[in-house]
Amino acid sequence: MVQLTIRRQDGNTIWYETFDVEEKPGMTVLEALFQIQEKQDGSLCFRYSCRGAVCGSCAMLINRKPVLACRTQLSAVKSEVILESEKEEILLKHSSKDESKEDVLVEPLPNLRVIRDLIVDMDHFYRLVNSIEPWIHVSEKTGYEENIIEPSMQIQIEKYTNCILCATCHGNCPAAARDDKYLGPAALAKVWRFCLDPRSRREDVDKLTSQVNSKEGVWGCDVVYKCVAVCPKKVPPTTAILKMRENTKSKSD
Amino acid sequence: MIDHDIIVIGGGLAGLRAAIEAYQLGADVAIISKVYPIRSHSGAAQGGINASLGFDDSWEAHAFDTVKGSDYLADQDTVDVLCKEASERVIEMENWGCNFSRQENGKIAQRPFGGAGFPRTCFAGDRTGHNLLHTLYEQVLKCNIKIYSEWLVTKLVIDKGRCAGCIAMNMADSKLGAFRSKAIILATGGYGRIYQRSTNAMINRGFGISLAYMAGVALEDMEFVQFHPTTLLGTNILITEGARGEGGYLFNKDHERFMSNYAKDSMELAPRDIVARSIQKEIDEGRGFPGGYVHVDLTHLGKDVINERLPGIRQISIDFAGIDPVKEPIPVQPGQHYSMGGVSSDINGRTPMPGLYAVGECACISVHGANRLGGNSLLDTVVFGRRAGIDAVDYIKLIQKADGDKLIEAFRQEEGRLQGMFGGEGGNFASIRDELQQIMQEHVGIFRNRKGLEHALDEIRKLKKRAAKLRVQSKVKVFNFELINALELQGMLELGHIITIGALAREESRGAHYRTDYLERDDGHWLKHTLAYKDVEPRLEYKEVNIGRFTPQRREY
Ligand SMILES: Cc1cc2nc3c(=O)[nH]c(=O)nc-3n(C[C@H](O)[C@H](O)[C@H](O)COP(=O)(O)OP(=O)(O)OC[C@H]3O[C@@H](n4cnc5c(N)ncnc54)[C@H](O)[C@@H]3O)c2cc1C
Ligand code: FES
Repeated sequence: MVQLTIRRQDGNTIWYETFDVEEKPGMTVLEALFQIQEKQDGSLCFRYSCRGAVCGSCAMLINRKPVLACRTQLSAVKSEVILESEKEEILLKHSSKDESKEDVLVEPLPNLRVIRDLIVDMDHFYRLVNSIEPWIHVSEKTGYEENIIEPSMQIQIEKYTNCILCATCHGNCPAAARDDKYLGPAALAKVWRFCLDPRSRREDVDKLTSQVNSKEGVWGCDVVYKCVAVCPKKVPPTTAILKMRENTKSKSD
Repeated sequence: MIDHDIIVIGGGLAGLRAAIEAYQLGADVAIISKVYPIRSHSGAAQGGINASLGFDDSWEAHAFDTVKGSDYLADQDTVDVLCKEASERVIEMENWGCNFSRQENGKIAQRPFGGAGFPRTCFAGDRTGHNLLHTLYEQVLKCNIKIYSEWLVTKLVIDKGRCAGCIAMNMADSKLGAFRSKAIILATGGYGRIYQRSTNAMINRGFGISLAYMAGVALEDMEFVQFHPTTLLGTNILITEGARGEGGYLFNKDHERFMSNYAKDSMELAPRDIVARSIQKEIDEGRGFPGGYVHVDLTHLGKDVINERLPGIRQISIDFAGIDPVKEPIPVQPGQHYSMGGVSSDINGRTPMPGLYAVGECACISVHGANRLGGNSLLDTVVFGRRAGIDAVDYIKLIQKADGDKLIEAFRQEEGRLQGMFGGEGGNFASIRDELQQIMQEHVGIFRNRKGLEHALDEIRKLKKRAAKLRVQSKVKVFNFELINALELQGMLELGHIITIGALAREESRGAHYRTDYLERDDGHWLKHTLAYKDVEPRLEYKEVNIGRFTPQRREY
């Protein structure tokens, strides 16, 4: 048996609840959550779709780290030690803890409003990403001629198109925690993806570059690489941000 | 009442492509999706999308491979369209920003795929679906198309013989909405999750297909279900054909390369259905490992080859099975992968119900016949998604919106039905689902025979009775998944029933439908499409196959 301690929320009521889960070999935290939802408490809610770490639905905080629940093996986190200072506060809230059982702490992704239980308001995150107008403009008829793109450029762009918009980066970002107008790592990484792309029009790149030359943009970043550390797809937003800072500087020089 | 000219149900590739086309042609179009569009199953596709871009390749060659792969059940007029329009659609995705892998000369790269005579599969690493889906979604954002995200459609409304709208539930507060439209484009994807083992996303339950069936529309060729030979033990995440393509071996528990007993020449690289049947046979006859699996062994390839060619597979094995293929073999078993059948629809995505279109995996157009080729279903979504968009825009010009009485009536009925699902005691959703999945896997799976299918039919009838008594305990309004699961379960049972009845009736083996009591293909009796209609029990009728330039031959590789 493994214990899952879950931060629940319904309206303004917040509580921590502990469930026993029957562990199976290779079980992920997402599967454990399903077991609870199906066998113990049908009201527990969380998002999911692919169960294979490709769709970006299931980002949450497990043992205080933002991760994809479907990619997190129960066996890897059940005996993990959480920072003592942080753990204390949780333990006080649920006294029924059985010391003999292994325990996993599950909470919603930070920096986004909780809707209920583990479901957060992703609209805020999407709005930030969409505000940069993340698309290629093509005015001419499409479908006739392909663009020629160097394989090495394709690989550079791929680092950023690998983003699945799961928002784990946003949940780990100190700047996003401070300022809800800060574009955040995912949106900024996307800006850089479009700046790199030879299919972007000159005027769109200029517009993007000046748009992010602000404290809500590239200058809002603390450069602490916390987004890079948690990205399940190894996207490096901080690298993109630094490149764009350089570009804006060299422009104003 | 919410009004739009055209409503697209589904935010996967097929739905998004249809919506973009309708928007560009000036229609008032909206998308309803039970998950945020980029979470759709389309994003999981790995291998690629087919188009005869090469100068020495041709759409005719592509069409031949598709028809042969389909075991001659595909309609050849629709296959022609699929293959003719392929290059334009793929290049269009490139123009819109899809980050396809490139050749040295900067053109779109193509790789060989099972059952194809040319390397014509375009790809974006091993994340083709993800790249296509995000690209289309970006274009949807650019068009500013209205999206009702996390809304579950529960009913299609028919008024005077036409599809006049739908009823959907906003998952965020469990309230119903009545959507009035002149046309609906159904793009709700496959039903993999009615099987115990499936490579599909957890959300692929076929509920959308069942809505069309409940509205009186025929479902076509539902007994044709594709099984992939190698899915990871436990989660059944896809282990791509590439693992064997790069030289991986299949071993049973006695460390025997058992493919030599089934396909001496092509060994591990025999066609999908043959490898799937071989693995299942090893397992069924006790030569699999306890728990029902065999090994794909890559260890002899060495770390460098694995890292360079199969990094995704290595990562999946580590993350989801705790196994590093550099050091250990990967435990695999066959799993449900794709639904060839679906809502009967034509070359423009029209179903027999005026005002209702169906495209993508939820539809049967039929371009895949009895067996789909890898790389053809992503293509199917964009080709026919676009065509349905065009046709729907023409169609809505000719008709008036329904007055809405019927819609309001349906809204009230749905409200009553949902209310009635709460309270009291009565079964657990998960246990009924688990039993259905197990029955489908065991008796309506890779190997089928009369006895097993009849047994499955009995069991499914019993499960339907139990499901009718199912009651939802949780009363929360915000994201009540117990309610959503209970609603969708009814559709899953319906589809299980239809697949089983169709499989029982079809006394031959063709493509993915394999009857151990009728081992041969029987063109004399069975070169025809199955149509299933709603009745007390699903009622079967049959329809001719469109045969064009390719006359049926034995399918040999
Ligand atoms: C692991 C895997 C790998 C694959 N690889 C390839 C490949 O390499 N090449 C290839 O050609 N094909 C591949 N396929 C097949 C291909 O990915 C799918 O057939 C295709 O993506 C289906 O797209 P779709 O738009 O029809 O449906 P989906 O992408 O499944 O979208 C369905 C949409 O409908 C919505 N929906 C469903 N029901 C409702 C409802 N009741 N109310 C509201 N919304 C609803 C969902 O929210 C979703 O947005 C693969 C499949 C799998 C499982
Ligand atoms: S469920 Fe898709 S990323 Fe976890």
